Amino acid sequence: MEDDVKKVKKPGIVSPFKRVFLKGEKGRDKKAQEKATERRALHTFSLSQPDHRIDPDILLNDYIEKEVKYLGQLSSVPGYLNPSSRTEVLQLIDNARKSHQLAGQLTSEQDAVVSLSAYNIKLVWRDGEDIILRVPIHDVAAVSYIRDDSLHLVVIKTAQESGGSPCPSSCPDLNKSQTLSSLSESGAVLVEVCCLLVLAVDNKAAAEELCLLLSQVFQIVYTESTIDFLDRAIFDGATTPTRHLSLYSDDSSSKVDVKEAFEEEAGTFPFQASMEAEGNSPSASTPASPQTKTASEGELSTTAAELLQDYMTTLRTKLSSQEIQQFATLLHEYRNGASIHEFCINLRQLYGDSRKFLLLGLRPFIPEKDSQHFENFLETIGVKDGRGIITDSFGRYRRTASSASDSTTNGNGAAGGSAASDEGQEASEGDEWDRMITDISNDIEALGCSMDQDGATP
Amino acid sequence: MTMEEMKNEAETNSMVSMTLYAVMYPVFNELERINLSAAQTLRAAFIKAERENPGLTQDIIMKILEKKNVQINFTESLLRMAADDVEEFMIDRPEQEFQDLNEKARALKHILSKIPDEINDRVRFLQTIKDIASAIKELLDTVNNVIKKYQYQNRRALEHQKKEFVKYSKSFSDTLKTYFKDGKAINVFISANRLIHQTNLILQTFKTVA
Repeated sequence: MEDDVKKVKKPGIVSPFKRVFLKGEKGRDKKAQEKATERRALHTFSLSQPDHRIDPDILLNDYIEKEVKYLGQLSSVPGYLNPSSRTEVLQLIDNARKSHQLAGQLTSEQDAVVSLSAYNIKLVWRDGEDIILRVPIHDVAAVSYIRDDSLHLVVIKTAQESGGSPCPSSCPDLNKSQTLSSLSESGAVLVEVCCLLVLAVDNKAAAEELCLLLSQVFQIVYTESTIDFLDRAIFDGATTPTRHLSLYSDDSSSKVDVKEAFEEEAGTFPFQASMEAEGNSPSASTPASPQTKTASEGELSTTAAELLQDYMTTLRTKLSSQEIQQFATLLHEYRNGASIHEFCINLRQLYGDSRKFLLLGLRPFIPEKDSQHFENFLETIGVKDGRGIITDSFGRYRRTASSASDSTTNGNGAAGGSAASDEGQEASEGDEWDRMITDISNDIEALGCSMDQDGATP
Repeated sequence: MTMEEMKNEAETNSMVSMTLYAVMYPVFNELERINLSAAQTLRAAFIKAERENPGLTQDIIMKILEKKNVQINFTESLLRMAADDVEEFMIDRPEQEFQDLNEKARALKHILSKIPDEINDRVRFLQTIKDIASAIKELLDTVNNVIKKYQYQNRRALEHQKKEFVKYSKSFSDTLKTYFKDGKAINVFISANRLIHQTNLILQTFKTVA
């Protein structure tokens, strides 16, 4: 009888246990399906095969998204970790999973979206879009793909304090200092640390795609930085003064023909272009102070005129029209009494990290009384030492109070062109600088206005 | 020499004349060992002809290559050859600043001439660009030091030449930006040749003015 009961299964009758279990599973599946249909489409592009090439403009001006699983982020990892060593990396990951620093089982709970551009790697949760972390590209040291059986891991080695915070629920509260100190036989040894961002993808193809995309990002960033480095080198060499600070010279041939200097760069100098459009000769007048300009034409040195020309050309290429106007405003404020300190800080903020080298071009235009502060400021922000992604060190021309006074009291050595030792001459030099600054400021402000009128874009 | 004369000479010695000193001068140097008189006569004749007809030397070379059915990229070959010192441009002043000028110019020309070997490897090419940047900066620093130290009466000619060099350096940078978009290496070679020519003109200017 019991066997008959066992053998005969009437349709529609389901074991209570199975009913509960299956209902739960079906419910979860249904929920997962609903979730999948609710999720937004990713911002993605088709990549050319087999190397997954993407148009660089997309990485520069747009972004691309890929689906990943976020296992977590390990902090205070020794910086000497070899990201190419499968053994080393897996050992770290295994230990982290054991200690629950990283997710063990992979579920939809770890679903995330990685957004790539030339600026940063951004991770958000797939559902809800809450940001997990953001890593600027310059903080990314290496990317590795590790296949561990069915698991396809993409591990990104980054700087310790990358601007994002590790997932608070899974990571211990670690000391965020850059270095760990460990004792050795010879004493304390400082060790640089880094972070490991651990992601998982569906398959090998997805992992390779992610790695190749990041490789292209590195290429773009490194290329841009290299060209920027070249531009800075040219700019710095071009704007280093070739004469001593004293503006008094017996050399009458140094009196500039401003018109000639402007016309040599026809078509590239924006101020001249705007003036010519209005039918004015560049040498005749400026919108701001025609008489001052005319009076100073004969006084400005060739070097100053060319430096001005170069700097304004550079400003136009590096700053937007709004930024040029902001620059003009800051310059105006500085001339009207704002401190050099305030001027420097505001300019640094305006230029940002990628354009801070533009401050170098201001060097010839900073009055003597503020030059020391300016030089110190350049040093503190790392412009003088040429710090940046690609580092190099240039020997910078250092204008000190002593050399400035040398040029006014002792002249210029063999040339002896600018010997001046009395206070009257020094006061006149100060006036000359003021006049130069006034002229330069007027021109730059006019540039800001002309860009406004022309609706020019950088 | 006045500013105007320098300008005219620079225009005359335009880049097309680079073939004369980059290709033919080494040939004349070799020939001098065999027949000094003939070599000197030929050199003088080519210099005069080139002055009167800029680009003539290049045309002759191209025709010879065509006749011999030699398939080479002339621009690339010129770039590879352009690093050699041209005695006519070297400054023979003993002072350290002028020797530095010779040295920095030589260094820049040398690294520019390596571009054809490096351009196909992105990582190496980027390193080459960094080296070029440093070389340009060092040359300009040396130029600035000499101008500042000696305070020449005819400094305008020097300033003009420096300005031209900066202009072609910027043009080289722009060419690189375009190259990384369109991949046309030939334009980089042309721009590098121009920059080498400007480097030689700086030396020539200092040699004349100093």
